[in-house]
Amino acid sequence: MKTLVIISHPEIGDSSSQQFLLSAVPKDKDVTIHHLESVYPDGNIDTVKEQKLLKQHDRILFQFPFYWYSSPALLKQWQDDVLTEGFAYGPRGSMLAGKEFGLVLAIGVKNSEYQAGGRESFSISELTKPYQAMAVKTEMVYLKPLLIFQFAYMTHEQKMKLYIDYQQVLTREKDASLETREKWLLEQLEQLDGKAFQPNEETTLSNAMEQIKTNRTTIDELKMILEQIR
Amino acid sequence: MEEELHELIRALEEMSERQSDYHAQALLFATSKLLQEQDKRIALMEGELDGTLWSPRNWGE
Repeated sequence: MKTLVIISHPEIGDSSSQQFLLSAVPKDKDVTIHHLESVYPDGNIDTVKEQKLLKQHDRILFQFPFYWYSSPALLKQWQDDVLTEGFAYGPRGSMLAGKEFGLVLAIGVKNSEYQAGGRESFSISELTKPYQAMAVKTEMVYLKPLLIFQFAYMTHEQKMKLYIDYQQVLTREKDASLETREKWLLEQLEQLDGKAFQPNEETTLSNAMEQIKTNRTTIDELKMILEQIR
Repeated sequence: MEEELHELIRALEEMSERQSDYHAQALLFATSKLLQEQDKRIALMEGELDGTLWSPRNWGE
């Protein structure tokens, strides 16, 4: 699976959340990072090049800071210029059909304010309706968004979780079941550089991998028994 | 949680803290969390199994 991350941020170098996410991008995977403000500093978007890029990928992500309940201006312009009739929609325009589409949003306000009665009044699902409509119109499969609330206040543990969640958004198959996440994690653990570990650490790692597999067998067996007696 | 699993999770957490490479650190931390999630899932399923076997609905059969 090839993933295209379209980032829009006017000052990406100064953004700690964006720099953190960039550091989490796997080097050896099929992930393309495409920062619009770097590629088009003058704002002149090459529509043909962008459409070609879209065609080459299976999962398209929009990553941006949530400004006034929407994206920075260049990403909106990108949508206007690139997602044209005949390419993205219309009788002869279904080049994006079947691809996956998702949002990665950095949000400055805390999660609990995005609801009726909260300071922002509306949920993120409500506020991102235009992107959901875009996915529907272009026949893309809308993924659950990765919402990053108040990155600056995150603890060390929350950041480690975000690091892994982001990698999964980039490379894991859509299904978020426990089994799929187990499979993804085992693949990652197998690729860890064993040379960096002490002998007792290698044992811990292999025991953990074995335990994940044993637990999976137990879960599957229990599932089978429960299905029989229900 | 069984003592053995508890030990393994603690060893993973300590191993994660010792890593200088952030990728390895985060991955090991995620592994300890996943093992806890699996353990909870197993406990819930065992609870459901227990509850179903003891359900009064089945007593008349």
